[in-house]
Amino acid sequence: MSGRVHTKTIPPHERISGFAPYVSNLDDRLAVYEASRCLMCFDAPCISACPAGINIPEFIYRIKTGNFYGAAKVIRESNILGGECGYVCPVERLCESKCVRRNLNEEPVAISMLQRFAYEKEKLKGLVKFPKSRSKDKKVAVVGAGPAGLSAAYELARMGYSVTVFDANPRPGGLLLYGILPWKAPWSVPESEIDLIKEYGINFVTNRKITDLKPLLKEYDAVFVGVGATKSQKLGIPGEELNGVYPAQEFLQSVAKWLMGEGKAPDLKGKRVAVIGGGDTAIDAACASVRLGAERVYIVYRRSFAEMPAVPYGRNQAREEGVEFLLLTAPVRIIGDKSVKAIECVKMELTEPDSSGRRGVRSIKGSEFRLDVDSVIVAIGQKPDEDLLKSYGVKTEKGLIVVDENFSTSIKGIFAGGDAVNGGETVVEAVAEGKKAAAAIDKFLSGGKSSKK
Amino acid sequence: MVSKPDISVKFCNLELENPYMLSSAPPTCTGEMIMRAFEAGWAGAVTKTIKPDKTPVYDLKNRFGVMGFETKQMILFENIEEVSKRPVGTWVKEIKEIKKKFPEKALIGSIMAECKEEDWEELARVVSEAGVDMIELNFGCPHGMPERGMGAFIGQRTELIQKLTKAAKRGSSVPVMVKLTPNVTDIAYTAKAAEEAGADAISAINTVLGLIGINIDTFEPIPTVDGMSTFGGLSGPGVKPIGLRCVAQIAQATNIPVSGIGGITTWKDAVEYLLVGAGSVQVCTAVMWRGYRIISDFVDGLTNYLADKGFSSVNEIIGKSLPKLTAWSKLNKDYTVVASINKDLCIKCGLCYVACRDGGYQAIKFEQGKAAEVDEEKCDACSLCTHLCPVPGCITWKKVTK
Repeated sequence: MSGRVHTKTIPPHERISGFAPYVSNLDDRLAVYEASRCLMCFDAPCISACPAGINIPEFIYRIKTGNFYGAAKVIRESNILGGECGYVCPVERLCESKCVRRNLNEEPVAISMLQRFAYEKEKLKGLVKFPKSRSKDKKVAVVGAGPAGLSAAYELARMGYSVTVFDANPRPGGLLLYGILPWKAPWSVPESEIDLIKEYGINFVTNRKITDLKPLLKEYDAVFVGVGATKSQKLGIPGEELNGVYPAQEFLQSVAKWLMGEGKAPDLKGKRVAVIGGGDTAIDAACASVRLGAERVYIVYRRSFAEMPAVPYGRNQAREEGVEFLLLTAPVRIIGDKSVKAIECVKMELTEPDSSGRRGVRSIKGSEFRLDVDSVIVAIGQKPDEDLLKSYGVKTEKGLIVVDENFSTSIKGIFAGGDAVNGGETVVEAVAEGKKAAAAIDKFLSGGKSSKK
Repeated sequence: MVSKPDISVKFCNLELENPYMLSSAPPTCTGEMIMRAFEAGWAGAVTKTIKPDKTPVYDLKNRFGVMGFETKQMILFENIEEVSKRPVGTWVKEIKEIKKKFPEKALIGSIMAECKEEDWEELARVVSEAGVDMIELNFGCPHGMPERGMGAFIGQRTELIQKLTKAAKRGSSVPVMVKLTPNVTDIAYTAKAAEEAGADAISAINTVLGLIGINIDTFEPIPTVDGMSTFGGLSGPGVKPIGLRCVAQIAQATNIPVSGIGGITTWKDAVEYLLVGAGSVQVCTAVMWRGYRIISDFVDGLTNYLADKGFSSVNEIIGKSLPKLTAWSKLNKDYTVVASINKDLCIKCGLCYVACRDGGYQAIKFEQGKAAEVDEEKCDACSLCTHLCPVPGCITWKKVTK
């Protein structure tokens, strides 16, 4: 029996003065110790819980033996963004939630910390590069350089296809750069992995927003669309158009760009901010608001902690950093003239679980109250850019691209994956879909036969 | 309340308040150290080995190495340290001082000399006359000394054991205990030789000759002295099975008391030594790691154990397991059991499945998320699964009639 390792963290009052990472990585001694907590289960449930299917016990065993580079190789074999995922995966919902140590009434093995450790060791020697298959005379265009697109591009390039990736932003990375703020994962992590992907001979065309797929279909033998879910869902209540209301996706993107030296971040200094929603994005928006100098930050969520989708780790971070949780509370309307002055909220109560087991909510009559705020960030979910998908002409349903089991859209030769298809999942899920789509594209281009090594 | 069990033992001529003594090693380097150990509660101490002033001795820098395993920092400890460098005169003075201050504690003088009978006889005389309660002959040190005809060089040759035991007996005015090396083919054989030569007691084991490791970055063996190394003596938890085996063999083969040594880290280890016939035990490595203070748990743990088991004296457990040790050929070949997995305790890690598949009889069925199951037809009761299952008591034995 042995307890889970805990690394040093910068105290909340110090870390909120900047956007830098605040959790230190494992050193060699702690990594080997933590690795020795892994039971090395047979047919381990953590592997099944990993969308990328990383052989977790194998990489952890290699850390235990001191074969750190070998550990990194195992990770990269299954996940080309394995370093980034080590930092951003919601492991409490994925691998760590299935760790068999939990069956012993112990804390799960710190898989993400070990994955980060392996990545940091890998970086010292140079990220692991696998051999490429012989060049094929077929070309594939990838639209969107986020996790799904990067993953598909990498897989296809490894198979020998000539791949060009288009992205609207000045730098490839998508959400990895423009949606994940550096306290979660330093940008050097995705940058290093994008550099690795570039080494496979992929052509990146940035600052190019693809609004029409037809010309691409003429020039390329297949197209993969991984444009993500860059827009936020709307509340649909009065006052949403007021100044000081920010959709969370756009808000995080503007903060990221400001940190990169482009444009300005919303001015929240000394302001009272209400973030609506209970997911990981709501947490990110709230903690970003704290870092932008907001005086008070509320998370307004209509259910209770038990139903909150945000991982406990993030919730705890927000609480430590002074974010106030207004649970079982829903916004009714946003009040203000030109700018936000307050939100009218109503208290909610949980109803009995329905047939799916999920508890519903209903408002409590007469419980309305006014919450004085200067800004509202709407973080109740994301969605792909509707206009963009419309211009692509692919079949959509509820704002998402419809694909078959081969990740093929309604248009022959056009494939899709990632958030634009699943509506906003994890980075690792997008990587997994990019990988699967690449295999399907390969099959499509080689006339039904997979040419995979 | 039941009265507190008596943990005092009589070992040869020694009246020990508890069975615990410090073995001849760094923790008994000086009189001052031995007296502090006595204050802490140790019942006896064997001095670091005293040698004639004419025999040169060196302390190399450095002289220790460790082997860990997973989260354990040390399971084996190695040393290439020699015997005491201090002059006989200093020891004589300090022995007198110790005995004056702690007359009720057992002080044993460990001695070693070259293979000259007159040297052993003389040293035994001087040290015993200084006032120790017993003399211990160091025939066991496996490193350094044997190259010069001392230590294990003697313990590996019965004719030398006998000749020098007799010489020491001639010189000593107190009982003589022979400390044996495990680095022999059959320790019962050397123990019997000592008994025949008149030894009053045996102590075993001295350290096990080994090579604790190689630094794979520098290619230097450990411990490294200016880039070079030599074989050394292993001690610590990992040598306990060797020590237990040796003590049991000696207890079975001889009729003189045995002082058990080797990897005794807690009172539980000591109990095991007592059960195979040790009349007292000696500790070194555990003290080097955590200090004399561990004696309080050694004493308390043993006392509570005896009370829990309903014994009134520690003497009742000495040798209690010996009758249960027999030859392999005498074990019951008709006894049949099979492994049985408790479904409620099973954590579904599949470790028993892999172990049985690759190191056993392919007798365990497993599917992710479900408890493992034993195929009783295939189970050969080798017991591998029971040892590696992470859950205590999950895999047990079920008697079957085949």
